[in-house]
Amino acid sequence: MSEAPPPPPPEAAPQADSAAERAALDRKTRRAFQVLIIQRGRNPGVKGWEMRRYLGKDYKRILEVLSEDLKPLGLEVHQVPGAEGTDDSTRFLLRFRDPPTLAEAETAGFRIDDLAVLAASIALVNSKQGRISRKELESFLKTKFPRWRIDYAVDRYIKRGYLDVDDKELIRIGWRTRAEIDERSLMTLILAQGAQTNTK
Amino acid sequence: MPEREDRDRDKKLEDILRLIELCRTIQSSSVNPFEVDVREKLLVLKKHLPDWDVIDVMLKDSEAMSQLVAIVKLQDQWLKHRASALYIDPLLLELKIQLISKEELAESFAKCWHPVAQIDQLTPKGLEKAFVYWRELVPFGERFKDQFGSYGEQAGLIGLEELESLSIFTREEFEARLNVIHRELLEKSNGKEIDYRSFIQGKDPEETALRGYLVAFVVTEGRATLRTDPMTEQIFIQTIEGKPDDETKSVAIAVR
Repeated sequence: MSEAPPPPPPEAAPQADSAAERAALDRKTRRAFQVLIIQRGRNPGVKGWEMRRYLGKDYKRILEVLSEDLKPLGLEVHQVPGAEGTDDSTRFLLRFRDPPTLAEAETAGFRIDDLAVLAASIALVNSKQGRISRKELESFLKTKFPRWRIDYAVDRYIKRGYLDVDDKELIRIGWRTRAEIDERSLMTLILAQGAQTNTK
Repeated sequence: MPEREDRDRDKKLEDILRLIELCRTIQSSSVNPFEVDVREKLLVLKKHLPDWDVIDVMLKDSEAMSQLVAIVKLQDQWLKHRASALYIDPLLLELKIQLISKEELAESFAKCWHPVAQIDQLTPKGLEKAFVYWRELVPFGERFKDQFGSYGEQAGLIGLEELESLSIFTREEFEARLNVIHRELLEKSNGKEIDYRSFIQGKDPEETALRGYLVAFVVTEGRATLRTDPMTEQIFIQTIEGKPDDETKSVAIAVR
């Protein structure tokens, strides 16, 4: 018995498969964008388990593709680890890839003094092992800012999620700070600014 | 002898209460949790344990134990944080923040800020909720009738004449107070601009409002002028010597 020659490689079928795969990926990427851009609950972002439900188990790859696609628009998909540290509790959200200028920040309703209060608060909370009593924070801020501004700003940032108050009434870093601010850079920049001032 | 035993027992109970208090204080402040010598405290609890025969004291003992567990947890977090890249000596950081200007602080913040992008939109469900809320909202005039009745004045303006008629001010007292605050402004500003809000700041909100009211008269009389920085919206006040400019305008400033 002679051996039958191997069948010619089917070319049309893989091409169709690949096109279908590409179309499915595009569809899922679009879906991921829609899910992320529309605010659903009180806080922005979508948790890992929800993403899996919307996009399937391969959701992380789809979000990576979306993040690349959003590059020209100056946006990125950012993930904030959840309290449990699992994939399901991780929160995904869209955020600016590059930081805005100070003037742009001001047009968003933040005054320079308010931003300075927030920067000082985040840096101080981080330096104090991530928790500080409100009294201690306020008494430190009072050395640099007027009292009425501190009360107003601290309340505002707690409400917006930049700072958080735990059951022991201690101020902690809020979820929005974790999502929007590169805390390590902030600490480094503050220290660097100080060095520049000293040199001057 | 029984008295001495009682005293000993009280002393031991006091030890436990003091330990609970210490642990609570550490947990509700940013003090280093390693200030608590957990091993030593555990030995104290172990030593006292055979003496307890009342359930209430035993509960206190277990509470102290639970507080020590919380301290150990805190010590673990403290070590993890200290080992992380976010750790900076608080004293150094406080000093740095004191040294740099508000603008530099804000600039540092803006450089590492990536705002979240999202669309806030009104959904049909939200619209329905708003409609139901509005429909069921009791008119303002009716809302507090149960608590306060229907009498009372609505918010409005009150003039100096009315304040005089209510015996809140007399003309002489008002003039004297105006002169006092003007003199204070002259001394503090020394011919330069100073922060308006810091100047009117009183011991309590009432005093702040009163000082703001008096300063408004000083400005109206042309003895001082206000300027708002368009970038920071900070308001400055400065005394005027001589005749004021013709280009004056009225502004409303909210006093908190």
